[in-house]
Amino acid sequence: MDGIGIQTLDRDALPISPGELVTSLVLFVLLAHAFAVRPGLFVDQLVGGLVYGLILVLVALGLSIILGLLGVVNFAHGAFFMMGAYLTFQVLTVWGLPFWATLFVVPVVVGLVGIVIERGVLQFVYDEDPLIGLLATFGIALMIDEATRAIWGGSPLSVTTPQILDSSIGIGVTTIARMRLFSVLVSVVVIVAVYLLIERTDFGLSVRAGVLDREMAEFVGVNIPLRFVVMFFIGAAIAGLGGVLRGAELGMDLSMGNQFIILAFVVVVVGGVGSLFGSVVSGILIGEATFLTPLVLRTLSETTNVAALNVSGIGGLMPFLVMIVVLLVRPRGLFGQEGFME
Amino acid sequence: MSGDASQTESTQRLRDALADGRLEQWRVPLGLLALVVFLRPVIGHEFLLNYPPFANTILVWMLFAASFNVLLGYTGLLSFGHGMFLGFGAYGAAIGLTRFDLPFTVSAVIGLAVAAVVAYLIGRIIAQRGEIYFAMLTLAFAKAAHFIANQNYGGLTGGSTGIVGVLPSWIETERGVKYVAAGGFQFDWYYLLGAVFVLAALAIWQIARSPFGRSLVAVRENEELARAVGIDDKRYKIWSFTFSGVFAALAGVLYAINNQGSSLSTLTVETSGDIILMTVLGGANYFFGPLAGVFVWLFSEEFLIEFETLVLPLAEYPLVRIELGGLLSYWQFFLGLLFVISVLVAPREGLWGLFRSGIGGLYDRVRGVRE
Repeated sequence: MDGIGIQTLDRDALPISPGELVTSLVLFVLLAHAFAVRPGLFVDQLVGGLVYGLILVLVALGLSIILGLLGVVNFAHGAFFMMGAYLTFQVLTVWGLPFWATLFVVPVVVGLVGIVIERGVLQFVYDEDPLIGLLATFGIALMIDEATRAIWGGSPLSVTTPQILDSSIGIGVTTIARMRLFSVLVSVVVIVAVYLLIERTDFGLSVRAGVLDREMAEFVGVNIPLRFVVMFFIGAAIAGLGGVLRGAELGMDLSMGNQFIILAFVVVVVGGVGSLFGSVVSGILIGEATFLTPLVLRTLSETTNVAALNVSGIGGLMPFLVMIVVLLVRPRGLFGQEGFME
Repeated sequence: MSGDASQTESTQRLRDALADGRLEQWRVPLGLLALVVFLRPVIGHEFLLNYPPFANTILVWMLFAASFNVLLGYTGLLSFGHGMFLGFGAYGAAIGLTRFDLPFTVSAVIGLAVAAVVAYLIGRIIAQRGEIYFAMLTLAFAKAAHFIANQNYGGLTGGSTGIVGVLPSWIETERGVKYVAAGGFQFDWYYLLGAVFVLAALAIWQIARSPFGRSLVAVRENEELARAVGIDDKRYKIWSFTFSGVFAALAGVLYAINNQGSSLSTLTVETSGDIILMTVLGGANYFFGPLAGVFVWLFSEEFLIEFETLVLPLAEYPLVRIELGGLLSYWQFFLGLLFVISVLVAPREGLWGLFRSGIGGLYDRVRGVRE
């Protein structure tokens, strides 16, 4: 469980350097320029980036919790996310339950699968090399992928959302789909709830104690294995909920698990391992970077008439560029120097 | 009789050689030669796949796995993005041939050089990170490489179709079988591939047993101790990553000939994941482990998909008939299960370790009975 009991730096000792000042100014000017040229598209992309970023945060939260608590990178976490999306199809289209039911049924089912995996496999690798946990969960992810293909087939699926979420709301320059607003709302509620659970309850206190020093926490009577199971359930359930939101908006396919586990890990690395707050900030940052960069470059190339600036497909590359830059400038991630759950 | 006498004498000499370990040091070269010689007839046998050219694919992947094991087995670093280097080799060779009309060897060397430089630079940035960081960062870099190839910047990489129908001028195809035409001679491509494979695998083996390779093992076993006795672990990790990347790129060059070009699939997460699965399943602890893993994996892939009905005990006398067609198309599920179990039971041993201990036990028992 490295990377949790990290010493804190005095943040006042880190003044804004001229370089940072110039960078933020340039970024601000670029964004303002994009907004001035195409306000409607800008707001569209802003909201799209927020939704995307928050779903990344939902996956990354569970990953971060499990990593901080159990010291295991759960590669199967992306598979939980995908399972959430496919279960949405199952509950909504096959069983014919209302959409609102999926929001509760799916996370619980995914969480229960998570418990089975935790008890069946992961509890044996806690004291081993971290690589072994990564390899074992990688095998599990493969099994879940194949099982999903066997049950729901290999072609992409989609579901119909309820009518109340189908329409859009006008806000002057553009319109926003209600489904997106709903996704934002649910994500924010879940993130705040997880924060409160860990920060403000006795349960959260005992979990944090277990993270800092498992042996000592057990000496004073905390049932650590039980807490591990509960936190694993919560982590898996949140990823499943992310899958519901993503699946309801954009449908589901077999590659989404792999795609999101990679991005979620990028989010955790950028935010700083062990910092939930960092994961939230970096998730939104990466979501916005993915959606806004293409627009910024496009408007810039339109104004300056330099076609080379409009790099096609730059959005998908942004998470990795952000990560490489952050790691070069600040190897511990944005908030990596603070303690777990700060 | 003199024949008997000379036979006992030679047996005695063989025994001596076994006893003082003279044969032991030739085990890997001999094993590699035997592998190349026997792989094709076995694969081509009508009871098995009945398709000899599949042995080419297996050899390419075996070289890839051997290069990967420099990193995972000897250095203890897990890379989730090793397909990237396979892709550098394959794309390097294909791009040089088609886009710049370079000779094949020149473009292959360029591919290897690019792989070496990129591996070195990435190694500089990430070698010192913790294991998990290292794994996921390699994944991110590979994802970026996949993205760039898919976007087809400058029309170099051919986007999602890749570069197809590329062959060096000295390769000829006849009904799906490739021949090397050099001078007036024409011989099966498998022999050239086999020769390159044996040489490259020997080079990897030589690296692994050199002082450099021993230092890698020291870093793997105990990083603090290695550092304390004066091993610059960061440097060793970077060079291990570079070597591994170059040999993977060599596998990629062979891949480009074998598959007549380069496909985007070399750069995918699935390729990088498959090589991890094969290596660990085979046994990262041994030189031959990853090769065994490749064989089992690719063989299952080809064999199980076509396997529809299991008839016991013999096809002529059916007593039990089990329909497996539907189930076995999901063979990856069962291999995944096998993988998880082998990781939990003995993460570094794999099937090859199991095989070795089985053979060792059998040998002891046979000897015990005799004496």
